[in-house]
Amino acid sequence: MEATSTNPASLLFPASYRRRVLCLLLLHPERALHVREIARLTGTTAGTLNKELARLHAAGLLTRESVGNQVRYAADRASPIYAELAGILRKTIGLADVLADALAPSAPTLSVALVFGSVARGSETARSDVDVLLIGSLTFGDAVQLLYPAQATVGREINPMVFSAEEWRTRLKAKDPFAREVLAKPKIFLIGNEDELENLGRHQPR
Amino acid sequence: MSLKTLVGISLDEAPASPEAVARLLKAAKAQIADAKATNISAETRFGAAYSAIRMLADVALNANGYRTLTNRPGHHQTAIQTLPLTIGLPAQTVQILDSLRKQRHVTEYSGDLVPESAVLECVTQALALQTVLRAWLKTNRPNLL
Repeated sequence: MEATSTNPASLLFPASYRRRVLCLLLLHPERALHVREIARLTGTTAGTLNKELARLHAAGLLTRESVGNQVRYAADRASPIYAELAGILRKTIGLADVLADALAPSAPTLSVALVFGSVARGSETARSDVDVLLIGSLTFGDAVQLLYPAQATVGREINPMVFSAEEWRTRLKAKDPFAREVLAKPKIFLIGNEDELENLGRHQPR
Repeated sequence: MSLKTLVGISLDEAPASPEAVARLLKAAKAQIADAKATNISAETRFGAAYSAIRMLADVALNANGYRTLTNRPGHHQTAIQTLPLTIGLPAQTVQILDSLRKQRHVTEYSGDLVPESAVLECVTQALALQTVLRAWLKTNRPNLL
């Protein structure tokens, strides 16, 4: 699941400025930023950005507020499509693709990788970490080395929980509340899918 | 960033003390031994190995003439994140230690069980830090040993 040219979000949002602004503001809805900050955080230039921000505001996706002589933009959570749009970005270029790419070098050692917790539920706050569950044969240190650099891109701390397939199975059998909660609550899969996660719990190792 | 600029913010000046160093090194060694025991829970082993890392990081600070301001939030974080400045630990190692700190914080407050992977990493890192720190002291502060 690598970010490729056929990535649905790149296809749906071909304007790269628009994509970057939407990812920054919709996935950090608590932030109200002025143009120069947005330019710095998205690696774009203020001139072109101004027009883009004005359009997104006119479309009702962003709020616009004057503070002193500054204009600040933020996600408009009252927009009727805010939750869906943020969800699309979270499952693609805004988060999941970044993490899947970061994990790619160790993908062969992983059975399942997924995001759980508040970010996966879409109920994250300013201080929320990205909780990532990894089931496979990599070490905790490997996971940190892979994911640490992605923290800057997603603008949040990433907290990996690493289990071997055997330990995961043991926990499910013991009805461990953590494992059950992960299964029951919303997830964003980075490697593997719902079926593979279920199979991990069901089958004995070869 | 230097250690000096953190004085009053997260650090305090404290003269290096051979007694304090000896006491902490001994305590860290005991914690690591406990962390390797197989008849206690993963959570307790993780906690012991993490304590050892924290004590070793405190030794590194004290050997340089500092200590953390323990009445400020985040003093564990300070001790760990200053390791590149105190004993020249590589940034990548500090990232792992800092993630272990975070893991401890999360599991301590949620009551969740600690994954075996985190216990193994914590013990491995505590042992490695002990070796690196002792070698550093021997070369740079032999009077403290």
